[in-house]
Amino acid sequence: MDVVDVTGEVCPRPALIVREHLEGLEPGDELIVRGDYPPAERNLRRTCNRHGYDVTGGQDADGRSFELRIRVTEDATLTGP
Amino acid sequence: MSDEPEPGDGRRTAATGASTSGDADGPALTEYVELHGCSCKVGQGDLESLLADAGVDVTPPGLRFGVGEDAAAQPLGDGRALVSTVDVFTPIVDDPFDFGRVAACNAASDAFATGAVDGLACLVVLGLPRELTGVAADVLAGMADALSGMDGVVAGGHTILNPWPLAGGAVTATAPEDALLTTRTAAPGDRLVLTKPLGTQPAMGAMRVRDGAFAETVRGATDASIEAVGREALEWMVTPNRDAALAARPLVSAATDVTGFGPLGEAAVLARNSGVGVELTHLPVVEGTAELSELFGYGLEVGESAETSGGLLLAVPEARLADLEAALDDAGVFRREVGRVTEGHGASLADGVTLERVPLGTAPGA
Repeated sequence: MDVVDVTGEVCPRPALIVREHLEGLEPGDELIVRGDYPPAERNLRRTCNRHGYDVTGGQDADGRSFELRIRVTEDATLTGP
Repeated sequence: MSDEPEPGDGRRTAATGASTSGDADGPALTEYVELHGCSCKVGQGDLESLLADAGVDVTPPGLRFGVGEDAAAQPLGDGRALVSTVDVFTPIVDDPFDFGRVAACNAASDAFATGAVDGLACLVVLGLPRELTGVAADVLAGMADALSGMDGVVAGGHTILNPWPLAGGAVTATAPEDALLTTRTAAPGDRLVLTKPLGTQPAMGAMRVRDGAFAETVRGATDASIEAVGREALEWMVTPNRDAALAARPLVSAATDVTGFGPLGEAAVLARNSGVGVELTHLPVVEGTAELSELFGYGLEVGESAETSGGLLLAVPEARLADLEAALDDAGVFRREVGRVTEGHGASLADGVTLERVPLGTAPGA
């Protein structure tokens, strides 16, 4: 499973970095995203849902970092809403 | 109190030695901060908890209004009121003069949102890291320039060293008491009018990543040039809400300005303070910003993207809508009907909400 760490990155870079990683994945594949910037978690979740990806996970208990599991569905597409 | 990270936690900013783009002509102000412009605002829920915890969540005696409104209004005893407000934020643009212009427009906007436009004065608050003190004069000159354009003055100020650049100020203005506007008096049936298009946050975000590793992706997201979208957004941010406030205040039932909570968040404040529901039916956005927002996940198309120095959101009785539209047109103010006030509660997007791409070159200074 692919893992991408966007810790220390400020928006809009996390979304662009994750997008780059998603480009090489097939339906059924999963990508783990770790980061520490709360707006990035919201923005990643929003853009992935909008493009048909399944997103689970969220903030860690201490609220200072997050981990999202993004699954590529049959409907997922990086182009268009 | 906020879910935002604290300054100095090692994030990849210029201050921590890993700048990404930079500018041959000088420091890139936006690289010194993690949150840009009005997106540095503490969330509405956190703010309310803070006020309640401290026991300052009610309007004090002697004020017409205060806590929970865009500004506080104190009757002066002669039929007029003194409106005061404070607003300080982080750089949304790299140019120091433009940062000053946006900061001044944004700070004054809270006074204009309450209908106060006379005798505008700003006590400037300026904070800069030691290595950026050389830009202080340009930021201040930008603020003075913008205030002058709003019939206002720099009345004084306070300047500090601070890890993140900050600019803004404490603003005062006056108005006839009976001309004051709040967020408390929107009524079911009112229509909502917005006086600037949306999209400043994705426009400015794109400017930060237009070169380097993601240039192709970002530039390919929209047919418009990123620089042109950025310039247009800047022109909207430095467009004062003064003319809009003057034209609207005799006609509208309630008002606020659209800033860090985004249009849906500001609509929710209006809904709660007035005890009504608000439905957004139309989102006018600067050309190019909807596609950029989709790339970044900013939520512009669902009303959730933060705005910096956004327009006024006005609630107007249906019977006065045509008069308001005519008054705004006469004043040369952009306007779009964006929603309606209902008997429900909270703010939501209407089914079939429409997105309008407002062409580049529409902003008054463009």
